[in-house]
Amino acid sequence: MALNIDVDFDEQGKKWDVDLAGELDVYTAAQLKVELTTAIENNPANMYINLQNLDYIDSTGLGVLIGKVKKLKPQGYDVFICNPKANVKKIFNITGLDKIFSMEG
Amino acid sequence: MLTIENNTLVQGVDQVKMALPCKGEYVGVVRLTISAIANRMGFNVEEIEDIKVAVSEGCTNAIKHSQDEIFDLDIRVYNNKLEIIIKDSGKGFEVEKIPQPDLENPKENGLGLFIIKTLMDEVSLDSKVGEGSQLTMVKFLGDGK
Repeated sequence: MALNIDVDFDEQGKKWDVDLAGELDVYTAAQLKVELTTAIENNPANMYINLQNLDYIDSTGLGVLIGKVKKLKPQGYDVFICNPKANVKKIFNITGLDKIFSMEG
Repeated sequence: MLTIENNTLVQGVDQVKMALPCKGEYVGVVRLTISAIANRMGFNVEEIEDIKVAVSEGCTNAIKHSQDEIFDLDIRVYNNKLEIIIKDSGKGFEVEKIPQPDLENPKENGLGLFIIKTLMDEVSLDSKVGEGSQLTMVKFLGDGK
């Protein structure tokens, strides 16, 4: 019932690499919001969120990601959702968020 | 089959009841419980994921919006379906005033009920201002409708 969050700035690619592992729900979403907000405020850039090891997401997790895409898009940046598992991808699909985010993999 | 009255058990139906604190850290406990029950009933992996998300969304709504200290989870195992009732005695709201989410311009909040309705076969929501809310959702086993 935990979420591991790894946020790194790729100096060469000038982008944020975010790795999420575990479960992103009402309990863990607050922690993610703080980390992503800090990253973007200090250094707005494209954000690549790798969900390869994310087992679970629900609307509270989606809400955090929507908040970030709304912050970044007006500044000319994007949020990329990378390698989601089938069950996670399904939640993006049914909510239409696969059209709001750039989906990769 | 008997009807439900004042929390009495329903004849011929297995019931699992829990009362949980309105705290986010307990939603994971609910997911584990409902997964185990759905798995034992014979739901497939995708259906179990759907049930997990829908039940979590229901619990999350109770935790975020009820302003109650606890909420009740009532899981009813039928031969052909799984029914989950999430109930609080919190502040309640006017059901008809819940806005439909605008999927082309999504907000940070407001997707939970939409997700539940998409993933489950039957969903009903009752709420009264000042008295609390009750969300009932059903998933049928296979073609058990």
